[in-house]
Amino acid sequence: MTARTCVALLLASLIASPALGQAPAPAGRIKLAAGMAFVVHEGQRIPAAVGTPVFEQDSVATGADGRVGVTLRDDTRLSIGPQTTIEISRFVYAQSDSQFAFVLKVVRGVVAYVSGRIAKLSPDAVRLETPSAIIGVRGTRLVIEAAP
Amino acid sequence: MTRRVLWLAVLAALAVSAACGPRRVSTNGAPGPSTVVLLGEPDGTAGRAVVTSVAGAGMVELSGDRASTTVVGRRAPSPVVALDAATIARRFGPTLASLPLAPEAFTLYFRLESDELTDESRALLPGVLKAVAGRPAPEVGVVGHTDTTGDSRSNYTLGLERATRVRTLLIGAGVEASLIDVSSLGESDLRIKTADNVLEPRNRRVEISVR
Repeated sequence: MTARTCVALLLASLIASPALGQAPAPAGRIKLAAGMAFVVHEGQRIPAAVGTPVFEQDSVATGADGRVGVTLRDDTRLSIGPQTTIEISRFVYAQSDSQFAFVLKVVRGVVAYVSGRIAKLSPDAVRLETPSAIIGVRGTRLVIEAAP
Repeated sequence: MTRRVLWLAVLAALAVSAACGPRRVSTNGAPGPSTVVLLGEPDGTAGRAVVTSVAGAGMVELSGDRASTTVVGRRAPSPVVALDAATIARRFGPTLASLPLAPEAFTLYFRLESDELTDESRALLPGVLKAVAGRPAPEVGVVGHTDTTGDSRSNYTLGLERATRVRTLLIGAGVEASLIDVSSLGESDLRIKTADNVLEPRNRRVEISVR
């Protein structure tokens, strides 16, 4: 290994990944929140606010007046309307080893989805699910309304 | 407000909404209906989506602006119909209005075999700062790329050096370090497709996404 490689790998370990043993990087962050809305993270309910991180396996839920906008790390955008529950069932965005996956569960309510880099780099890795439907995408924007 | 009070408020809101909302109680444990609508892009094109039922019955493809299908229970998706704009506005308007701003992309180019930006690209940095300042909870993704000269391993390293260099420039210009994530795609995501070992200035780049 050259000296340059060593330096770069050291930089990578310092910068690209948050130090070992720490929590993984969030799948995305809330950019917009209104009304009653919360994130469920590892069984804990956290009020949804601008900047709140959303991790793989988290849910986001809104009440009658709630709305939430989320941008994921691959530039995917989601908007969650009133009386809606979604789950980020899977989010894998590891560019260096070409590992990609995004599975969104719409448990109930209304959701808008605008595809990001994962849909571009690996379209088959994206799946949107409702209680009755499974949706595959090829670079697109969608709205979904689902009853439980 | 304590967590308990918040909880009660959530439960109360859910109870009220369940009582007042449309009746869609399904029978026999079958899932309720889902409607999926494809929307055109701002540039006039439209992507594609494929919809199947969870029960595996049928498959329809949505491929034009406002193309929609509904899946009821375990039945196959309905034939595609174009929803009118007024219906979309009524059912989905408030939700669409809550989409976050589209991420803003910047591409910075480098001198040959170097982590120094070209002068033109250096001039783009203030625009990046402006995009960061104009967003709620901003984040900046910085991805380094190379051309195909040299082997892929050293190009991964060079891509990371370039991305790291841009990170340093952004921090120097006032972007908070914790907002920036850095990665490298080396020569694996060429902007201009070339054979191996081809000098191509347009592939020597760092792509920034402000989101």
